[in-house]
Amino acid sequence: MRRWLPALVFFALLVSLPLWLKDAYLQQIVFRVVIFAVLGIAWNLVGGYAGQLSLGHVAYFGIGAYSVALFHEHFELNPWLGTVLGVVLACLAALLIGSLTFRLRGPYFALSTIAAAEILRLLALNLSFTHGAIGMIAPAFFAEPNGDTKTYYAALPLLLLAFAVATYTHRSRFGYYLRAIRENEDTAMAVGVNPAVEKLKALLLSAALVAAAGALYAGVFQFIGPDSVLTVDLSVQMALIAMLGGVATVWGPIIGAVVLTVAAEGLKAYLERAHLFFYGLLLVLVVLFLPGGLVSITKLRWFRRSAARAQAG
Amino acid sequence: MAPLLQLKHVVKRFGGLVATHDVSFDVEENETVFIIGPNGAGKTTLFNLISGYLTADSGEILYRGQNLVGMKPYQTTRLGIGRTFQIVKPLPSLTVRENVMLGSFLHHHSWPEASRKADEVLDFFGLARRADQLASGLPLAQRKLLEVARALATGAKLLLLDEVMAGLNPTESAEVVALLKRLTGFGVSAVAGVEHIMRVVMALATRVVVMDQGAKLAEGPPQTVVHDPRVVEAYLGSKYSQGGAQR
Repeated sequence: MRRWLPALVFFALLVSLPLWLKDAYLQQIVFRVVIFAVLGIAWNLVGGYAGQLSLGHVAYFGIGAYSVALFHEHFELNPWLGTVLGVVLACLAALLIGSLTFRLRGPYFALSTIAAAEILRLLALNLSFTHGAIGMIAPAFFAEPNGDTKTYYAALPLLLLAFAVATYTHRSRFGYYLRAIRENEDTAMAVGVNPAVEKLKALLLSAALVAAAGALYAGVFQFIGPDSVLTVDLSVQMALIAMLGGVATVWGPIIGAVVLTVAAEGLKAYLERAHLFFYGLLLVLVVLFLPGGLVSITKLRWFRRSAARAQAG
Repeated sequence: MAPLLQLKHVVKRFGGLVATHDVSFDVEENETVFIIGPNGAGKTTLFNLISGYLTADSGEILYRGQNLVGMKPYQTTRLGIGRTFQIVKPLPSLTVRENVMLGSFLHHHSWPEASRKADEVLDFFGLARRADQLASGLPLAQRKLLEVARALATGAKLLLLDEVMAGLNPTESAEVVALLKRLTGFGVSAVAGVEHIMRVVMALATRVVVMDQGAKLAEGPPQTVVHDPRVVEAYLGSKYSQGGAQR
Protein backbone atom coordinates (compact mmCIF):
# COMPACT_ATOMS: atom_id res chain seq x y z
CA MET A 1 0.00 0.00 0.00
CA ARG A 2 2.87 2.34 0.83
CA ARG A 3 3.95 2.11 -2.78
CA TRP A 4 0.81 3.95 -3.85
CA LEU A 5 0.97 6.65 -1.18
CA PRO A 6 2.91 9.23 -3.25
CA ALA A 7 0.50 8.78 -6.15
CA LEU A 8 -2.50 9.09 -3.85
CA VAL A 9 -1.18 12.31 -2.30
CA PHE A 10 -0.25 13.70 -5.69
CA PHE A 11 -3.64 13.09 -7.28
CA ALA A 12 -5.51 14.26 -4.18
CA LEU A 13 -3.55 17.50 -4.40
CA LEU A 14 -4.40 17.90 -8.08
CA VAL A 15 -8.09 17.22 -7.49
CA SER A 16 -8.30 19.76 -4.65
CA LEU A 17 -6.25 22.46 -6.38
CA PRO A 18 -9.07 24.43 -8.07
CA LEU A 19 -10.83 24.62 -4.69
CA TRP A 20 -8.12 26.73 -3.05
CA LEU A 21 -6.18 28.07 -6.02
CA LYS A 22 -8.62 30.65 -7.39
CA ASP A 23 -6.27 32.70 -9.54
CA ALA A 24 -7.11 32.02 -13.20
CA TYR A 25 -3.49 32.47 -14.33
CA LEU A 26 -2.17 30.03 -11.74
CA GLN A 27 -4.92 27.57 -12.61
CA GLN A 28 -3.84 27.73 -16.20
CA ILE A 29 -0.27 26.95 -15.19
CA VAL A 30 -1.48 23.88 -13.28
CA PHE A 31 -3.44 22.77 -16.35
CA ARG A 32 -0.26 23.10 -18.40
CA VAL A 33 1.62 21.05 -15.82
CA VAL A 34 -0.96 18.26 -16.13
CA ILE A 35 -0.89 18.34 -19.94
CA PHE A 36 2.91 18.40 -20.04
CA ALA A 37 3.10 15.56 -17.52
CA VAL A 38 0.95 13.47 -19.87
CA LEU A 39 3.20 14.45 -22.79
CA GLY A 40 6.37 13.64 -20.81
CA ILE A 41 5.05 10.25 -19.72
CA ALA A 42 3.94 9.45 -23.25
CA TRP A 43 7.28 10.49 -24.76
CA ASN A 44 9.07 8.47 -22.10
CA LEU A 45 7.54 5.22 -23.40
CA VAL A 46 9.27 5.67 -26.75
CA GLY A 47 12.23 7.88 -25.88
CA GLY A 48 12.94 6.59 -22.38
CA TYR A 49 12.05 2.92 -22.09
CA ALA A 50 12.56 1.99 -25.74
CA GLY A 51 15.42 4.48 -26.13
CA GLN A 52 14.18 5.83 -29.48
CA LEU A 53 14.92 9.56 -29.44
CA SER A 54 11.77 10.86 -31.11
CA LEU A 55 11.80 14.59 -31.81
CA GLY A 56 8.59 14.51 -33.78
CA HIS A 57 6.02 13.77 -31.11
CA VAL A 58 4.38 17.12 -31.74
CA ALA A 59 2.84 15.48 -34.82
CA TYR A 60 0.44 13.51 -32.60
CA PHE A 61 -0.22 16.54 -30.42
CA GLY A 62 -1.11 18.58 -33.49
CA ILE A 63 -3.33 15.84 -34.89
CA GLY A 64 -5.25 15.77 -31.61
CA ALA A 65 -5.59 19.55 -31.46
CA TYR A 66 -6.46 20.03 -35.12
CA SER A 67 -8.98 17.15 -35.07
CA VAL A 68 -11.05 18.91 -32.41
CA ALA A 69 -11.03 22.14 -34.44
CA LEU A 70 -11.46 20.60 -37.90
CA PHE A 71 -14.26 18.19 -37.08
CA HIS A 72 -16.04 20.98 -35.26
CA GLU A 73 -15.76 23.48 -38.08
CA HIS A 74 -16.42 21.19 -41.01
CA PHE A 75 -18.72 18.51 -39.55
CA GLU A 76 -20.04 20.25 -36.47
CA LEU A 77 -18.90 17.39 -34.26
CA ASN A 78 -18.59 18.08 -30.55
CA PRO A 79 -15.04 18.22 -29.15
CA TRP A 80 -15.37 14.85 -27.40
CA LEU A 81 -15.99 13.08 -30.69
CA GLY A 82 -13.23 15.21 -32.18
CA THR A 83 -10.90 13.93 -29.46
CA VAL A 84 -11.78 10.31 -30.12
CA LEU A 85 -11.26 10.77 -33.86
CA GLY A 86 -8.02 12.64 -33.15
CA VAL A 87 -6.72 9.71 -31.09
CA VAL A 88 -7.64 7.29 -33.87
CA LEU A 89 -6.00 9.46 -36.53
CA ALA A 90 -2.88 9.88 -34.37
CA CYS A 91 -2.63 6.10 -34.02
CA LEU A 92 -2.91 5.70 -37.78
CA ALA A 93 -0.25 8.36 -38.27
CA ALA A 94 1.94 6.62 -35.65
CA LEU A 95 1.56 3.35 -37.53
CA LEU A 96 2.72 4.99 -40.75
CA ILE A 97 5.44 7.20 -39.24
CA GLY A 98 6.67 4.41 -36.96
CA SER A 99 6.91 1.76 -39.65
CA LEU A 100 8.95 4.19 -41.77
CA THR A 101 11.17 5.84 -39.14
CA PHE A 102 11.90 2.83 -36.90
CA ARG A 103 13.94 1.37 -39.76
CA LEU A 104 16.51 4.04 -38.97
CA ARG A 105 18.81 4.10 -35.95
CA GLY A 106 20.18 6.80 -33.67
CA PRO A 107 20.42 10.33 -35.06
CA TYR A 108 18.87 9.28 -38.39
CA PHE A 109 15.77 8.15 -36.54
CA ALA A 110 15.59 11.44 -34.61
CA LEU A 111 15.93 13.46 -37.82
CA SER A 112 13.30 11.43 -39.64
CA THR A 113 10.78 12.01 -36.83
CA ILE A 114 11.40 15.74 -37.07
CA ALA A 115 10.83 15.51 -40.82
CA ALA A 116 7.52 13.68 -40.36
CA ALA A 117 6.27 16.32 -37.92
CA GLU A 118 7.47 19.12 -40.21
CA ILE A 119 5.46 17.65 -43.10
CA LEU A 120 2.33 17.93 -40.96
CA ARG A 121 3.20 21.48 -39.94
CA LEU A 122 3.69 22.50 -43.56
CA LEU A 123 0.41 20.85 -44.53
CA ALA A 124 -1.43 22.74 -41.80
CA LEU A 125 0.31 25.91 -42.92
CA ASN A 126 -0.61 25.54 -46.59
CA LEU A 127 -3.95 23.73 -46.78
CA SER A 128 -7.02 25.86 -47.16
CA PHE A 129 -9.30 23.94 -44.81
CA THR A 130 -6.84 24.43 -41.92
CA HIS A 131 -6.69 28.19 -42.65
CA GLY A 132 -2.89 28.14 -42.90
CA ALA A 133 -0.92 30.40 -40.63
CA ILE A 134 -4.08 32.12 -39.40
CA GLY A 135 -4.93 29.01 -37.43
CA MET A 136 -8.24 27.74 -36.21
CA ILE A 137 -10.69 28.28 -33.41
CA ALA A 138 -11.19 25.15 -31.34
CA PRO A 139 -14.46 24.63 -29.47
CA ALA A 140 -14.47 24.55 -25.67
CA PHE A 141 -15.25 21.21 -24.05
CA PHE A 142 -17.51 22.80 -21.47
CA ALA A 143 -19.70 25.88 -21.53
CA GLU A 144 -19.01 28.79 -19.18
CA PRO A 145 -19.01 29.37 -16.25
CA ASN A 146 -15.87 27.57 -15.10
CA GLY A 147 -15.38 25.85 -18.45
CA ASP A 148 -11.61 25.73 -18.01
CA THR A 149 -11.84 24.22 -14.53
CA LYS A 150 -14.10 21.51 -15.91
CA THR A 151 -11.63 20.82 -18.71
CA TYR A 152 -8.94 20.59 -16.06
CA TYR A 153 -10.99 17.89 -14.35
CA ALA A 154 -11.28 16.16 -17.71
CA ALA A 155 -7.48 16.23 -18.02
CA LEU A 156 -6.89 14.57 -14.64
CA PRO A 157 -8.28 11.15 -15.68
CA LEU A 158 -6.00 11.35 -18.72
CA LEU A 159 -3.01 11.94 -16.44
CA LEU A 160 -4.18 9.07 -14.24
CA LEU A 161 -4.39 6.85 -17.32
CA ALA A 162 -0.91 7.91 -18.43
CA PHE A 163 0.39 7.26 -14.92
CA ALA A 164 -1.22 3.80 -14.94
CA VAL A 165 0.35 3.02 -18.31
CA ALA A 166 3.75 4.16 -17.01
CA THR A 167 3.43 2.13 -13.81
CA TYR A 168 2.41 -0.94 -15.77
CA THR A 169 5.21 -0.49 -18.29
CA HIS A 170 7.82 -0.02 -15.59
CA ARG A 171 7.33 -3.48 -14.14
CA SER A 172 5.93 -5.58 -16.95
CA ARG A 173 7.20 -7.83 -19.69
CA PHE A 174 6.41 -5.06 -22.18
CA GLY A 175 8.59 -2.57 -20.28
CA TYR A 176 11.49 -4.99 -19.99
CA TYR A 177 11.29 -5.76 -23.68
CA LEU A 178 11.45 -2.02 -24.44
CA ARG A 179 14.49 -1.65 -22.17
CA ALA A 180 16.13 -4.61 -23.91
CA ILE A 181 15.56 -2.93 -27.28
CA ARG A 182 17.07 0.29 -25.96
CA GLU A 183 20.20 -1.45 -24.69
CA ASN A 184 20.82 -3.90 -27.48
CA GLU A 185 18.50 -5.07 -30.24
CA ASP A 186 20.55 -8.20 -30.93
CA THR A 187 20.18 -9.33 -27.34
CA ALA A 188 16.50 -8.43 -27.42
CA MET A 189 15.99 -10.67 -30.43
CA ALA A 190 17.95 -13.45 -28.73
CA VAL A 191 15.32 -13.57 -25.98
CA GLY A 192 12.48 -13.72 -28.50
CA VAL A 193 11.61 -10.04 -28.83
CA ASN A 194 10.45 -8.67 -32.17
CA PRO A 195 11.85 -5.12 -31.88
CA ALA A 196 9.72 -3.67 -34.68
CA VAL A 197 6.48 -4.84 -33.07
CA GLU A 198 7.35 -3.73 -29.53
CA LYS A 199 8.53 -0.29 -30.70
CA LEU A 200 5.30 0.18 -32.65
CA LYS A 201 3.22 -0.81 -29.61
CA ALA A 202 5.05 1.80 -27.53
CA LEU A 203 4.58 4.46 -30.20
CA LEU A 204 0.85 3.73 -30.58
CA LEU A 205 0.27 4.03 -26.83
CA SER A 206 2.37 7.17 -26.77
CA ALA A 207 0.66 8.79 -29.75
CA ALA A 208 -2.82 8.09 -28.35
CA LEU A 209 -1.97 9.81 -25.04
CA VAL A 210 -0.29 12.74 -26.79
CA ALA A 211 -3.24 13.25 -29.15
CA ALA A 212 -5.74 13.27 -26.27
CA ALA A 213 -3.57 15.83 -24.48
CA GLY A 214 -3.44 17.92 -27.65
CA ALA A 215 -7.23 17.87 -27.93
CA LEU A 216 -7.71 19.06 -24.34
CA TYR A 217 -5.05 21.72 -24.82
CA ALA A 218 -6.96 23.02 -27.85
CA GLY A 219 -10.16 23.04 -25.82
CA VAL A 220 -8.66 25.34 -23.20
CA PHE A 221 -6.56 27.65 -25.35
CA GLN A 222 -9.19 27.59 -28.08
CA PHE A 223 -6.91 29.08 -30.65
CA ILE A 224 -4.51 26.78 -32.43
CA GLY A 225 -2.13 27.24 -35.32
CA PRO A 226 0.83 25.51 -36.96
CA ASP A 227 3.21 27.49 -34.76
CA SER A 228 1.47 26.67 -31.51
CA VAL A 229 0.54 22.97 -31.79
CA LEU A 230 2.85 21.68 -34.55
CA THR A 231 6.11 23.41 -33.71
CA VAL A 232 9.28 21.40 -33.23
CA ASP A 233 9.86 23.30 -29.95
CA LEU A 234 7.05 21.31 -28.40
CA SER A 235 8.65 18.01 -29.46
CA VAL A 236 11.89 19.10 -27.84
CA GLN A 237 10.01 20.12 -24.71
CA MET A 238 8.43 16.67 -24.37
CA ALA A 239 11.88 15.12 -24.52
CA LEU A 240 13.28 17.70 -22.09
CA ILE A 241 10.54 17.05 -19.54
CA ALA A 242 11.33 13.34 -19.48
CA MET A 243 15.10 13.87 -19.46
CA LEU A 244 15.02 16.57 -16.80
CA GLY A 245 12.88 14.43 -14.52
CA GLY A 246 14.52 11.13 -15.33
CA VAL A 247 14.12 8.90 -18.38
CA ALA A 248 12.62 5.44 -18.02
CA THR A 249 11.14 6.24 -14.61
CA VAL A 250 7.48 6.58 -13.62
CA TRP A 251 7.81 9.85 -11.70
CA GLY A 252 10.52 11.50 -13.81
CA PRO A 253 8.26 13.07 -16.45
CA ILE A 254 5.82 14.29 -13.77
CA ILE A 255 8.58 15.97 -11.79
CA GLY A 256 10.05 17.27 -15.04
CA ALA A 257 6.71 18.76 -16.07
CA VAL A 258 6.25 20.49 -12.71
CA VAL A 259 9.77 21.90 -12.59
CA LEU A 260 9.97 22.91 -16.23
CA THR A 261 6.55 24.58 -16.40
CA VAL A 262 6.88 26.35 -13.06
CA ALA A 263 10.44 27.39 -13.85
CA ALA A 264 9.47 28.70 -17.28
CA GLU A 265 6.53 30.72 -15.97
CA GLY A 266 8.27 31.85 -12.78
CA LEU A 267 11.40 32.97 -14.56
CA LYS A 268 9.31 34.75 -17.17
CA ALA A 269 7.40 36.61 -14.43
CA TYR A 270 10.42 37.74 -12.41
CA LEU A 271 13.29 37.94 -14.88
CA GLU A 272 11.51 39.09 -18.00
CA ARG A 273 13.88 38.91 -20.91
CA ALA A 274 16.64 37.10 -18.98
CA HIS A 275 14.35 34.14 -18.32
CA LEU A 276 15.60 32.04 -21.23
CA PHE A 277 19.15 32.32 -19.94
CA PHE A 278 18.24 30.90 -16.53
CA TYR A 279 15.98 28.31 -18.11
CA GLY A 280 18.96 27.12 -20.15
CA LEU A 281 21.23 27.24 -17.12
CA LEU A 282 18.84 25.00 -15.17
CA LEU A 283 18.90 22.42 -17.96
CA VAL A 284 22.68 22.49 -18.22
CA LEU A 285 23.09 22.05 -14.46
CA VAL A 286 20.76 19.06 -14.36
CA VAL A 287 22.42 17.40 -17.34
CA LEU A 288 25.87 17.99 -15.83
CA PHE A 289 25.25 16.99 -12.22
CA LEU A 290 22.22 14.71 -12.39
CA PRO A 291 22.45 12.83 -15.67
CA GLY A 292 19.80 10.44 -14.35
CA GLY A 293 17.38 13.35 -14.01
CA LEU A 294 15.88 14.98 -10.94
CA VAL A 295 14.52 11.69 -9.61
CA SER A 296 18.07 10.44 -9.18
CA ILE A 297 18.52 12.81 -6.21
CA THR A 298 16.29 10.60 -4.10
CA LYS A 299 18.00 7.53 -5.37
CA LEU A 300 21.36 8.92 -4.33
CA ARG A 301 20.21 9.69 -0.78
CA TRP A 302 18.43 6.39 -0.48
CA PHE A 303 21.54 4.65 -1.75
CA ARG A 304 23.79 6.45 0.73
CA ARG A 305 21.51 5.78 3.65
CA SER A 306 21.11 2.10 2.93
CA ALA A 307 24.84 1.80 2.28
CA ALA A 308 25.55 3.43 5.65
CA ARG A 309 23.08 1.11 7.31
CA ALA A 310 24.70 -1.91 5.71
CA GLN A 311 28.10 -0.82 7.02
CA ALA A 312 26.81 -0.22 10.53
CA GLY A 313 24.92 -3.50 10.73
CA MET B 1 14.14 -40.28 -34.97
CA ALA B 2 15.13 -37.27 -37.04
CA PRO B 3 17.98 -35.20 -35.70
CA LEU B 4 17.15 -32.07 -33.67
CA LEU B 5 19.15 -29.88 -36.03
CA GLN B 6 20.22 -30.62 -39.57
CA LEU B 7 22.41 -28.46 -41.75
CA LYS B 8 22.25 -29.38 -45.43
CA HIS B 9 24.70 -27.85 -47.90
CA VAL B 10 24.62 -24.44 -46.22
CA VAL B 11 26.32 -21.66 -48.21
CA LYS B 12 26.83 -18.06 -47.10
CA ARG B 13 28.76 -15.48 -49.09
CA PHE B 14 29.77 -11.98 -48.07
CA GLY B 15 30.42 -10.38 -51.44
CA GLY B 16 33.25 -12.39 -52.94
CA LEU B 17 34.13 -14.13 -49.68
CA VAL B 18 32.56 -17.51 -49.09
CA ALA B 19 32.05 -17.62 -45.32
CA THR B 20 30.52 -21.09 -45.23
CA HIS B 21 30.79 -23.42 -48.18
CA ASP B 22 28.47 -26.39 -48.50
CA VAL B 23 28.43 -27.22 -44.81
CA SER B 24 26.34 -30.19 -43.68
CA PHE B 25 26.10 -31.83 -40.28
CA ASP B 26 23.50 -32.93 -37.74
CA VAL B 27 23.01 -32.38 -34.05
CA GLU B 28 21.07 -35.22 -32.43
CA GLU B 29 19.16 -35.04 -29.18
CA ASN B 30 21.33 -35.49 -26.09
CA GLU B 31 24.44 -34.57 -28.01
CA THR B 32 27.02 -31.91 -27.31
CA VAL B 33 28.59 -30.97 -30.60
CA PHE B 34 31.52 -28.60 -30.69
CA ILE B 35 32.56 -26.73 -33.77
CA ILE B 36 36.25 -26.02 -33.82
CA GLY B 37 38.59 -24.49 -36.33
CA PRO B 38 41.10 -21.70 -36.84
CA ASN B 39 40.03 -18.06 -36.74
CA GLY B 40 37.93 -17.10 -39.75
CA ALA B 41 36.85 -20.67 -40.39
CA GLY B 42 33.19 -19.64 -40.35
CA LYS B 43 32.19 -20.96 -36.95
CA THR B 44 30.38 -17.89 -35.65
CA THR B 45 28.85 -17.34 -39.11
CA LEU B 46 27.37 -20.81 -38.81
CA PHE B 47 25.80 -19.89 -35.46
CA ASN B 48 24.44 -16.65 -36.88
CA LEU B 49 22.90 -18.61 -39.75
CA ILE B 50 21.23 -21.10 -37.42
CA SER B 51 19.88 -18.45 -35.05
CA GLY B 52 18.67 -16.17 -37.84
CA TYR B 53 21.07 -13.23 -37.50
CA LEU B 54 22.23 -14.07 -41.02
CA THR B 55 20.32 -15.68 -43.87
CA ALA B 56 21.88 -18.52 -45.83
CA ASP B 57 22.28 -17.99 -49.57
CA SER B 58 21.47 -21.63 -50.25
CA GLY B 59 21.02 -24.88 -48.41
CA GLU B 60 18.69 -25.87 -45.63
CA ILE B 61 18.83 -25.58 -41.86
CA LEU B 62 16.20 -27.85 -40.34
CA TYR B 63 15.19 -27.71 -36.69
CA ARG B 64 12.83 -30.59 -35.87
CA GLY B 65 12.17 -30.79 -39.59
CA GLN B 66 11.28 -27.09 -39.94
CA ASN B 67 13.41 -24.94 -42.22
CA LEU B 68 14.97 -22.02 -40.34
CA VAL B 69 16.36 -20.24 -43.40
CA GLY B 70 14.72 -16.82 -43.69
CA MET B 71 13.57 -16.75 -40.08
CA LYS B 72 14.36 -13.82 -37.82
CA PRO B 73 16.35 -14.33 -34.61
CA TYR B 74 13.31 -13.84 -32.38
CA GLN B 75 11.49 -16.56 -34.33
CA THR B 76 14.24 -19.12 -33.84
CA THR B 77 14.33 -18.22 -30.13
CA ARG B 78 10.60 -18.83 -29.86
CA LEU B 79 11.09 -22.25 -31.50
CA GLY B 80 13.51 -23.22 -28.74
CA ILE B 81 16.95 -22.21 -29.95
CA GLY B 82 18.87 -20.22 -27.35
CA ARG B 83 22.19 -18.59 -28.02
CA THR B 84 24.98 -16.68 -26.36
CA PHE B 85 27.20 -14.11 -28.00
CA GLN B 86 30.96 -14.33 -28.36
CA ILE B 87 31.19 -10.72 -27.22
CA VAL B 88 28.98 -10.75 -24.14
CA LYS B 89 25.95 -8.52 -24.38
CA PRO B 90 24.40 -8.21 -20.93
CA LEU B 91 22.14 -5.21 -20.47
CA PRO B 92 24.28 -3.12 -18.12
CA SER B 93 21.55 -0.92 -16.66
CA LEU B 94 19.48 -3.92 -15.58
CA THR B 95 20.19 -6.12 -12.58
CA VAL B 96 21.44 -9.66 -12.97
CA ARG B 97 17.97 -11.04 -12.17
CA GLU B 98 16.31 -8.68 -14.67
CA ASN B 99 18.75 -9.80 -17.35
CA VAL B 100 17.72 -13.40 -16.84
CA MET B 101 14.05 -12.39 -16.58
CA LEU B 102 14.27 -11.08 -20.14
CA GLY B 103 14.74 -14.73 -21.06
CA SER B 104 12.10 -16.18 -18.77
CA PHE B 105 9.49 -13.63 -19.90
CA LEU B 106 9.24 -15.62 -23.14
CA HIS B 107 7.16 -18.33 -21.48
CA HIS B 108 6.26 -16.67 -18.18
CA HIS B 109 4.35 -13.52 -18.93
CA SER B 110 3.74 -12.24 -15.43
CA TRP B 111 6.44 -10.46 -13.46
CA PRO B 112 6.41 -12.70 -10.35
CA GLU B 113 6.53 -15.89 -12.40
CA ALA B 114 9.33 -14.66 -14.64
CA SER B 115 11.22 -13.55 -11.56
CA ARG B 116 10.81 -16.95 -9.88
CA LYS B 117 11.98 -18.77 -12.99
CA ALA B 118 14.96 -16.40 -13.24
CA ASP B 119 15.93 -17.10 -9.62
CA GLU B 120 15.82 -20.82 -10.34
CA VAL B 121 18.26 -20.41 -13.21
CA LEU B 122 20.49 -18.01 -11.24
CA ASP B 123 20.63 -20.49 -8.40
CA PHE B 124 21.83 -23.19 -10.77
CA PHE B 125 24.61 -20.94 -12.04
CA GLY B 126 25.65 -19.84 -8.56
CA LEU B 127 24.65 -16.25 -9.34
CA ALA B 128 21.80 -16.00 -6.82
CA ARG B 129 23.94 -13.91 -4.50
CA ARG B 130 24.44 -11.36 -7.27
CA ALA B 131 20.79 -11.23 -8.38
CA ASP B 132 20.15 -7.64 -7.32
CA GLN B 133 23.45 -6.24 -8.60
CA LEU B 134 23.69 -4.38 -11.87
CA ALA B 135 24.96 -6.64 -14.62
CA SER B 136 27.64 -4.08 -15.50
CA GLY B 137 29.34 -4.81 -12.14
CA LEU B 138 29.92 -8.49 -12.80
CA PRO B 139 33.38 -9.86 -13.53
CA LEU B 140 33.85 -11.39 -17.00
CA ALA B 141 33.45 -15.01 -15.94
CA GLN B 142 30.09 -14.28 -14.37
CA ARG B 143 28.99 -12.12 -17.28
CA LYS B 144 29.62 -15.12 -19.49
CA LEU B 145 27.55 -17.30 -17.20
CA LEU B 146 24.83 -14.67 -17.22
CA GLU B 147 24.67 -14.99 -21.02
CA VAL B 148 24.13 -18.74 -20.72
CA ALA B 149 21.61 -18.20 -17.93
CA ARG B 150 19.59 -15.78 -20.04
CA ALA B 151 19.57 -18.16 -23.01
CA LEU B 152 18.59 -21.05 -20.74
CA ALA B 153 15.75 -19.03 -19.20
CA THR B 154 14.05 -18.77 -22.60
CA GLY B 155 13.39 -22.49 -22.22
CA ALA B 156 15.81 -23.34 -25.00
CA LYS B 157 15.94 -26.95 -26.19
CA LEU B 158 18.97 -26.35 -28.33
CA LEU B 159 21.63 -24.15 -26.83
CA LEU B 160 24.24 -22.47 -29.05
CA LEU B 161 27.25 -21.41 -27.01
CA ASP B 162 29.63 -19.09 -28.79
CA GLU B 163 33.03 -19.21 -27.08
CA VAL B 164 31.70 -19.20 -23.57
CA MET B 165 35.14 -20.06 -22.20
CA ALA B 166 37.16 -17.38 -23.98
CA GLY B 167 38.86 -15.12 -21.48
CA LEU B 168 38.29 -17.40 -18.50
CA ASN B 169 41.16 -18.78 -16.46
CA PRO B 170 41.51 -22.60 -16.14
CA THR B 171 39.82 -22.73 -12.73
CA GLU B 172 36.87 -20.72 -13.97
CA SER B 173 36.48 -22.72 -17.14
CA ALA B 174 36.60 -25.98 -15.14
CA GLU B 175 33.71 -24.65 -13.07
CA VAL B 176 31.76 -23.71 -16.18
CA VAL B 177 32.41 -27.13 -17.71
CA ALA B 178 30.95 -28.74 -14.58
CA LEU B 179 27.86 -26.54 -14.90
CA LEU B 180 27.38 -27.22 -18.61
CA LYS B 181 27.45 -30.97 -17.98
CA ARG B 182 24.28 -30.57 -15.91
CA LEU B 183 22.31 -28.48 -18.42
CA THR B 184 19.97 -31.36 -19.31
CA GLY B 185 18.35 -30.78 -15.92
CA PHE B 186 16.87 -27.61 -17.43
CA GLY B 187 15.28 -29.34 -20.36
CA VAL B 188 18.11 -28.71 -22.79
CA SER B 189 18.09 -31.46 -25.41
CA ALA B 190 21.33 -30.61 -27.16
CA VAL B 191 24.21 -28.16 -27.06
CA ALA B 192 26.24 -26.86 -29.94
CA GLY B 193 29.33 -24.89 -29.05
CA VAL B 194 32.05 -22.94 -30.73
CA GLU B 195 35.21 -23.23 -28.72
CA HIS B 196 38.95 -22.73 -28.99
CA ILE B 197 39.99 -24.25 -25.69
CA MET B 198 40.62 -27.91 -26.52
CA ARG B 199 40.51 -29.02 -22.89
CA VAL B 200 36.91 -27.86 -22.74
CA VAL B 201 36.06 -29.49 -26.06
CA MET B 202 37.57 -32.81 -25.00
CA ALA B 203 35.71 -32.71 -21.68
CA LEU B 204 32.26 -31.88 -23.06
CA ALA B 205 31.94 -32.88 -26.70
CA THR B 206 30.24 -36.06 -27.80
CA ARG B 207 31.16 -35.11 -31.36
CA VAL B 208 33.37 -32.51 -32.98
CA VAL B 209 32.94 -30.72 -36.31
CA VAL B 210 36.11 -29.16 -37.66
CA MET B 211 35.81 -26.14 -39.92
CA ASP B 212 38.52 -24.61 -42.05
CA GLN B 213 38.13 -21.70 -44.47
CA GLY B 214 34.36 -21.98 -44.53
CA ALA B 215 34.17 -25.68 -45.23
CA LYS B 216 33.73 -28.72 -43.04
CA LEU B 217 37.09 -30.43 -42.77
CA ALA B 218 36.32 -33.34 -40.50
CA GLU B 219 33.72 -34.69 -38.14
CA GLY B 220 33.72 -37.37 -35.48
CA PRO B 221 34.36 -38.23 -31.85
CA PRO B 222 36.82 -35.79 -30.25
CA GLN B 223 39.61 -38.33 -29.75
CA THR B 224 39.58 -39.37 -33.40
CA VAL B 225 39.28 -35.86 -34.79
CA VAL B 226 42.23 -34.36 -32.97
CA HIS B 227 44.53 -37.00 -34.43
CA ASP B 228 43.27 -36.52 -37.96
CA PRO B 229 46.26 -35.28 -40.01
CA ARG B 230 44.08 -32.82 -41.95
CA VAL B 231 42.96 -31.22 -38.70
CA VAL B 232 46.48 -30.95 -37.39
CA GLU B 233 47.53 -29.38 -40.67
CA ALA B 234 44.75 -26.79 -40.56
CA TYR B 235 45.78 -25.77 -37.08
CA LEU B 236 49.55 -26.08 -37.11
CA GLY B 237 50.61 -26.19 -40.76
CA SER B 238 51.69 -29.09 -42.95
CA LYS B 239 55.04 -29.55 -41.20
CA TYR B 240 53.32 -31.11 -38.20
CA SER B 241 50.83 -33.26 -40.04
CA GLN B 242 53.28 -35.74 -41.52
CA GLY B 243 53.17 -37.88 -38.45
CA GLY B 244 55.57 -36.20 -36.38
CA ALA B 245 58.04 -34.34 -34.50
CA GLN B 246 60.52 -33.15 -37.03
CA ARG B 247 61.39 -30.22 -34.86
